[in-house]
Amino acid sequence: MNKKWKRDDLIVRSLADSYLPIALILGFYVILHGNISPGGGFQGGVLAASGVLLLYLGYGFRGIATALNMERMHKLEAIGAIAYVLFAMLGIFAGYNFCRNILFDSGNIGDVWSSGTIALMNYSVGFKVLTGVGFLLLLVIALLATESGHEHDGTISTTEHEELERRKGE
Amino acid sequence: MKRLIMAISLIVILCIGVYSVVYMEQEIPITYDGRGTDVYELQQDPYDYDLSDPEPDGVASIIVKENLAKTQAVNNVTAIVFDFRGYDTLGESFILLIAITGATVILRRKIDRWGGGKNE
Repeated sequence: MNKKWKRDDLIVRSLADSYLPIALILGFYVILHGNISPGGGFQGGVLAASGVLLLYLGYGFRGIATALNMERMHKLEAIGAIAYVLFAMLGIFAGYNFCRNILFDSGNIGDVWSSGTIALMNYSVGFKVLTGVGFLLLLVIALLATESGHEHDGTISTTEHEELERRKGE
Repeated sequence: MKRLIMAISLIVILCIGVYSVVYMEQEIPITYDGRGTDVYELQQDPYDYDLSDPEPDGVASIIVKENLAKTQAVNNVTAIVFDFRGYDTLGESFILLIAITGATVILRRKIDRWGGGKNE
């Protein structure tokens, strides 16, 4: 009996395929329209980071390990934090104080590009939360996958049917 | 001697507290508590909202009424979080960064067993 059980649920994988673009588009919409509609960087980042969980549900741990890079996501999070500080220091470069909004009248009220550094800080925080929470989810999934009870490649036998067959095989 | 100093300092702190309470009761003006704001109307039509108020009420009133003139952001909460309180958001995002770094440090041995999370 084959001891390596692969998760091969067609329905779950199809639903993950169809819901992943919707989740990503909703998350990026909330990030991009943070200054003109309810929402913002934090909420949109968490929404977009749920794509990691959808990917895990559809393709298992092996699919995540080939699609995403953990260390690169951690470095990108630091880049988001540095971008926030740089946008806040634009005020110092222009001769005012820290966190001064110097570009606030560069667009029209109600457009996507309006309110200057508020929008830029919003985007940087959204990027930072997206990569940070995605890294945290990847960490949790990796620890689950390398526990002793599971298989080496991280696939977990899901249904009772598979459990029964495995016991029969042993 | 130690107990005497402790008692004197406690009495001084108590006197300062009582004085500050009396001062706040008499001197500090009433701040804005959002009682007169029609939130639905403000959200529906922020350009034509009635700004006239019989009595001025502090910093929160300024933020609510002059938000469009000062920041040009229609979403008031984003304007407060990213402009009026930019330092606060900076600290929040660094707290997230530090928390994730701490989780990585605690679980570093298990991550090494997985192979560092690199692509294969």
